[in-house]
Amino acid sequence: MTDTVVIANPEAGGTRRSLVLTEDRLGHYPEFRAFFARTFDLDRIALSEPGFVRAPSGLAYALVFIGRSGEPFPSGLEIYAIVDALEPLDDAAVDKDLWAILGWVIGGVGAPWTIETLQATGRLYRIPAAV
Amino acid sequence: MTANSLANIEGFQDKWRFASRDMRVNGWRMHYVDEGAGDPVLLLHGNPTWGFLYRDVIPPLLEAGRRVVVPDMIGFGLSEKPAREQAHSLDGHIANLTGLVRQLDLRRLTVVCHDWGGPTGLSFAMSNPERVRALVVMSTWAWPTPPAEFHTRLFPWRIMHAPLVGPYLLGRHNVLARRGVYLSVVDRDKFRREAQAAYDAVLPDYETRLLTWTWPRWIPLDDTARAQARFAWLEAELAKTRLPTLIIWGREDEVFDAATFAARFKQLLPHAEGPHLVTGRHFLQEDSGHEIGRLISAFLARLDQQGGT
Repeated sequence: MTDTVVIANPEAGGTRRSLVLTEDRLGHYPEFRAFFARTFDLDRIALSEPGFVRAPSGLAYALVFIGRSGEPFPSGLEIYAIVDALEPLDDAAVDKDLWAILGWVIGGVGAPWTIETLQATGRLYRIPAAV
Repeated sequence: MTANSLANIEGFQDKWRFASRDMRVNGWRMHYVDEGAGDPVLLLHGNPTWGFLYRDVIPPLLEAGRRVVVPDMIGFGLSEKPAREQAHSLDGHIANLTGLVRQLDLRRLTVVCHDWGGPTGLSFAMSNPERVRALVVMSTWAWPTPPAEFHTRLFPWRIMHAPLVGPYLLGRHNVLARRGVYLSVVDRDKFRREAQAAYDAVLPDYETRLLTWTWPRWIPLDDTARAQARFAWLEAELAKTRLPTLIIWGREDEVFDAATFAARFKQLLPHAEGPHLVTGRHFLQEDSGHEIGRLISAFLARLDQQGGT
């Protein structure tokens, strides 16, 4: 579940970014915003470039951080799958990847948030990637 | 598209025979039903339901000679669904409701509240008391401390709507309308057979489900919460009101349990009738809709006899 790794900006030729998840309120629990700021050195690089991760399917994902006047940065986040430019998404694979990315986030945010709690929640709500 | 999806659900039109109406309120398109004549009764739902929740409550009220108005909260049901989280606020939803009531010029109004219909409907009532005749509260809250111990727990509540997790679970997988409501009724087989599809159909896509993870983020968990001041005001206003009030609660409600929540409303509104306990968990209208309709009708009939204003 934590097979998600931070990578450098992947080769963009022949690909497109496909929006798969949005978060308008990353700081709802401030420790989530702090995790991304720490992981991607956002206090230094700010909006200059997205963060990139590779998920278990092998797909790369761009994490585009959003700033909002009057709020700590980043205030929001958009996650884009980087896919073949003209091919449709494999939605089931993306869903599993997103679940893995969430595990990576929760693990990185740390206590009291735990991957076990996330997995239990996924099982309770019968999320395919969690069962 | 959504209306077509509903029409295709087997038996839906037998359960929901009410004419659809729309009105522009506070900048948004609000869907509502408006049936019958007489003193109006406003039935307010919460997260993640819509007016359909009240399908069995409505007929006894109509038979008792009441006018029944059932809006879908902006962001739910057949109302407009804003695409950005920042479009939603507790005060904004109170203003939405106020806009509807004023445009319909409803007076001598009975405000019936469930879940987020409580903070919105009761705040409307406290800021427009000249229009309100009575209150009915069911499985809701009206004070700034966390509504229930459940809401302070990481599992399953806080992690369910945590950053990114909320949009994934509630947006991509619609878990609140699908599994959440199912787990919060008593007769789950009946719910799955008769109602589940009608709740799914109005939240068909990721963007349409935004409010399902936005409302949980508005529940005050500490004194830094966005809605802290509004809830504090609401509690103080309710403590002063003398509006006739009826408390109805689900006997099996484990989240907003009657021993804590109905009792707190009774403490806040000592003149209130009840609590009347009926079969039901949080979504008690699913299990006891007719009985709730009859309880409200009888309560209003008693007010009529007493010459209540």
